Amino acid sequence: MKTFFIYTSMLLALCININGFKPNHARAADPADSGEISIYETDQEYEALMEELAEDEGEAEAVQIADPLYYWNKGVYHFNDRLYFWVMKPVTRGYKAVTPQFLRTGLSNFFNNLGTPVRFVNNLLQGRSEQAGVELGRFMVNTVAGGLGFWDVAKYESPLRNRPNEEDLGQTLGVWGVGNGFYIVWPVLGPSTLRDSVGRVGDSPLYPLFYVDSTGTIIAAEAVDQVNDLSFRLGDYESLKESALDPYTAIRDAYLQSRREQIRK
Amino acid sequence: MKKIAVIWLVLLFFTGAALVSAAKRQPMEELKGPIQRGIAILKDPEFKDDREAQREKIWDLIQNVFDFKAVSIRALARNWRMLSPEQREVFTEEFTELLKNNYLDRIQGEFQDEEVVFEEQDMLSEDKAVVRTKVIRKNVETPIEYRVHLKDGRWRVYDVNIEGVSLVQNYRKQFNEILAKEKPEQLIQRLKEKNKAHAEERQKKG
Repeated sequence: MKTFFIYTSMLLALCININGFKPNHARAADPADSGEISIYETDQEYEALMEELAEDEGEAEAVQIADPLYYWNKGVYHFNDRLYFWVMKPVTRGYKAVTPQFLRTGLSNFFNNLGTPVRFVNNLLQGRSEQAGVELGRFMVNTVAGGLGFWDVAKYESPLRNRPNEEDLGQTLGVWGVGNGFYIVWPVLGPSTLRDSVGRVGDSPLYPLFYVDSTGTIIAAEAVDQVNDLSFRLGDYESLKESALDPYTAIRDAYLQSRREQIRK
Repeated sequence: MKKIAVIWLVLLFFTGAALVSAAKRQPMEELKGPIQRGIAILKDPEFKDDREAQREKIWDLIQNVFDFKAVSIRALARNWRMLSPEQREVFTEEFTELLKNNYLDRIQGEFQDEEVVFEEQDMLSEDKAVVRTKVIRKNVETPIEYRVHLKDGRWRVYDVNIEGVSLVQNYRKQFNEILAKEKPEQLIQRLKEKNKAHAEERQKKG
């Protein structure tokens, strides 16, 4: 985990430097927004729509992002894509075939429980005290009575029934008004932004695995977490990619839109 | 005489009320029917070996619920004006086909004991609304929102929002990116090729 930390912060520093140069490939410019339109006919539906789109222009702005690392990002995107199809997918399929459902659900609960400190602290930082309370309650009940979180027994207690929303430092910074910065795709970890990458590094000391001394154990645990998690979502990536005409742009936009939603909640 | 007048009044009132309620059908109610029928078709064992037939049956339902022209215009937004009237027609046709393929592949491939819960509707204006639903799969809940507008007296979907990701907006970003470098004709060509590949793939399987 410590090596990961160093590696991430080095790359981050590098990114900030690169961002300083801003190659002419800063792609925030949106051709449709330049206003250059050749008019063929007046379409009532179109006019009404343009009015509406102009109204929520501000909202559209929120999911606009600069992509100064475009070439790096695209390369890593292809790397991750291959990693998924050549390694992650076959491994997860095998894992899913031999692992009973209750074990997969249990592991998912276990790792979710381990993530409580991150969510608890960020709920507090965002002033969501009620959610923080639910997190704390669930953590205590599930850790003690649910076999270290393997069983979600808290769901039988009505105030603790629902899992609160995911919260992390990236979202907290977003709530505080920090912008996305620019888009960045990490090897293995996937799509992120400058803000969310900083958040990730900042969150890591709150993750219990951070304090395990053996790198091997950490890697193994992370791998199990990843594969187990993926076993519930097999096929999602394929259909996102399949439905897109420009998968790189589609994934970038989907990431930004869903983060915006998470910050809102 | 007075009695007859009263009866007339009452009758008038009721038919009037009935007419109004027919015109002002609730968006959520209007979506519920086709979606539930769609689920019934997906679960129907009759179609186990004839997926093409199942496909067409579901498509019949979807066609009446979605306003694909509105989806197309919204996805192209200002770029819509770059297309000639003929191109717009072809684009709408091909884009509809792409959405059809993606949507049907998805629900045919993955529908296993999912449950759709209709939560609430929010009126955005007189003729626009959001219908909020939740798809429950094993222990995962996925919020899905349908944006609907009133067209020719019926509520029809012009955007779908899954976990905060708007389908229309996602395509808009892609089309912007492509049309910044290519001509509309090339974009249409891309759509055509994708649809053709999909049709060939299906033929191989079927």
